[in-house]
Amino acid sequence: MDSNQKRFVEDALDLLNELDEGLMQLESNPQATAPLEQVFRTMHTIKGGANMFGFENIGELAHQLETLYDMVRQGKMQITDGLISLTLHAFDKVRDLLKEKDVARINNAEVLKDHLTSAVNFLKVAESESSADISQTTNAKNKDELATFCLRISPTINITEDGNHPLVFIVQDISALGTSKVILIQKPSREVDHWEVFITTTAPQSELESYFIFVENECVVSYFKLTPCDLFEQPEFSEYLNSLDNLPADPTKIATFVALRLATYHQQKDEDEEIAEIGNTKKRSVSDSYIKVSKRKVDDLLNWISELIILQAQLATTASSIQSTALNDVAEQLEMITGRLRDTSLEIGLVPVETLVTKFKRLVRDLSKQLNKKVNFLSEGADTEMDKDVIEMMADPMVHIIRNSIDHGIEPAVERKAIGKSEHGTVKLKAFNSSSYVNIIISDDGKGISRENVLQKALEKKLISPNENPSNEDVFNLIFHPGLSTASQVSDVSGRGVGMDVVKQRIDELRGSVAVKSIAGKGTAIHIKLPLSRSIIEGLLVNVAETRYVVPLNVIERIDRIPYAEIHREDKVDKTVIVNEEPLPVLSLRQRFHNDVNPPKTADIISVLVNGIKKGIAVDRIEGKMQTVMKPLGDVYKQQDFISGSTILGNGTLALVLDPARLFLSTSHKEFSDKYEKSN
Amino acid sequence: MKKTILVVDDFASIRDFVCDTLQRKGYETLGAANGNEAYQVLTQKANDVNLVLTDYNMPDCTGFELLKKIKENPLVTKVPVIFLTTESNPDKMRSAKEAGLSAWIKKPYRSETFFAQIENVMRNG
Repeated sequence: MDSNQKRFVEDALDLLNELDEGLMQLESNPQATAPLEQVFRTMHTIKGGANMFGFENIGELAHQLETLYDMVRQGKMQITDGLISLTLHAFDKVRDLLKEKDVARINNAEVLKDHLTSAVNFLKVAESESSADISQTTNAKNKDELATFCLRISPTINITEDGNHPLVFIVQDISALGTSKVILIQKPSREVDHWEVFITTTAPQSELESYFIFVENECVVSYFKLTPCDLFEQPEFSEYLNSLDNLPADPTKIATFVALRLATYHQQKDEDEEIAEIGNTKKRSVSDSYIKVSKRKVDDLLNWISELIILQAQLATTASSIQSTALNDVAEQLEMITGRLRDTSLEIGLVPVETLVTKFKRLVRDLSKQLNKKVNFLSEGADTEMDKDVIEMMADPMVHIIRNSIDHGIEPAVERKAIGKSEHGTVKLKAFNSSSYVNIIISDDGKGISRENVLQKALEKKLISPNENPSNEDVFNLIFHPGLSTASQVSDVSGRGVGMDVVKQRIDELRGSVAVKSIAGKGTAIHIKLPLSRSIIEGLLVNVAETRYVVPLNVIERIDRIPYAEIHREDKVDKTVIVNEEPLPVLSLRQRFHNDVNPPKTADIISVLVNGIKKGIAVDRIEGKMQTVMKPLGDVYKQQDFISGSTILGNGTLALVLDPARLFLSTSHKEFSDKYEKSN
Repeated sequence: MKKTILVVDDFASIRDFVCDTLQRKGYETLGAANGNEAYQVLTQKANDVNLVLTDYNMPDCTGFELLKKIKENPLVTKVPVIFLTTESNPDKMRSAKEAGLSAWIKKPYRSETFFAQIENVMRNG
């Protein structure tokens, strides 16, 4: 694929999203002209681009669908569910195709064949209906209507066959419209006297004529429609033309071939007429102006800015250490500017949640059809912006949540009616910012999560003991536990119990948090909180044997200080440490990665929630809360996945950012978990 | 002197592609994303633009609207306009011609046809 094709594919994928959006609007409001025009125009652009960059099969499909929507524009057809579905599915396939890296693959006509056939059939049905409805209707260009023409083109100016006059190329273009034979008759001066073009084509005469509109002063063209079918099928005709060798054809001979051909052909169809297209295309609302920048450039920019922030912090430290007021002033101003620079540059990488909303609308539409439920999808705050990477990573988890809402949450229309709810269920996506977090709440007004069901499942799987009486919050959090699904019947939409745990895992990876609220009979709300950027981290800076670590703030439950000696339990049967009067499995960073030389008197135990289970990390001392730019560790440290990155502190030293989930999972801690499990 | 062509298309990849093609042939190019933008560029650089090559279907200001604007303004009326479009409606072509359009190139085009039309139009004005 060359670079032009690549750019086209990129643009076309954007267009396809716009198209989806337009189609969705059109479906909910079939009479609206604005979305109709948008859909038509977008398809038109895709058609043009696809043909131009050599993706003819996509161009052809877009053309057929465009024709359908053109009929709608002309009032010859109504928007129906069938039409919208047909279009959505067809362009889904186009989208899949465009994601292929290989041009040959994209151009695989087979893939789009079914969609093309259904579009053509749809058109045929629509045409027969519309011509039944409206007398005197003009037929849309029908691909099956072949005709053979003879064109006589006589230039009124002096040109040669190898000249650079447009007419020469127009003749070539015309001959490329179908099976053709061009006979060039030259004057003695070798200039063109006239061309005779015999062509069998699906293009109507008006289209042939249109080629000459802009050279009318330079030539005279006469048209003869010979047969309403392929005259080249008459072998004598082709033989005769080939034998001519640049001499004019004899009209009487041609007439005999025509008669022969017509004898075997029953004339069925009237002459084609062109589609009368209505005037100017409607205007589309002005969109904000954007430029496309490669992701790499933005990443580079962010990288340099994070270096700048580190340098600025060092300057601030130096300035205060040499106690120079003048330098302090400069350092403070620099701090302000770098702060703003950081905020602005982070915003560059942000995209509105809206990009997901279209996808979700589509999902809700398809799912509700599939499950035969009536569901509306509402979105609020779709202009809230998030890091592009975060959006991409969250797309699937959010799809899963919405699937669950529709599949398990929203009741069938009959059931809803019976309990006095409106027939249409509602799934709502709300997005908003708070400090350095993006909040996403996905809620539904379905039947809610059944506390009893979850509890029972949890008991079966021995996740809780029978005499426990956990709070509602704890119960609902159990849905994120691997292997717990409350659907009594597994459907192909959701409910295999894989999913919600993955959702939770993904959110943890992004250092976000998730909370579930549910009221029986009223509905469920899932509140996801994500950091604005993956590279900015809020955490606790801790000190272990003079090495600094950062523990992400989002997983921290509480902090306790206990005597250092108490975490030494290797020789005890019960390895758990009593913290805040509760037994807690504790991992001591000092014991794991350092040594017991000069231990502190006390240890700070940071309780973190990992996959719903509380665990402790023992550190020497907590130094404070900090917000900082995280930088990836080099490839050399890739294996150490319990460290998600590093950050450079104001004094130039390094702190390692811990990934608590992986810390407890990591194989180097197998020993620890083994011990813990044995003791359990 | 190099001839300058103003390329108008709202679809960036096509616009860039057309510009690249023209530049390789030794033309200078200017780009605009819609009719209004193109008209603005044109009126500012009336003496520098030798040809306007525009798409037909564009949001805000279509190629046809742009054509009318150009032909109605005595300052720029002499700049030839060519439509480069997938549109192939003969009525539209006819009315565009009446409005002063110099040539109509259908997308997808063959590069020989494309350059022959452009050169012919610029030669004959």
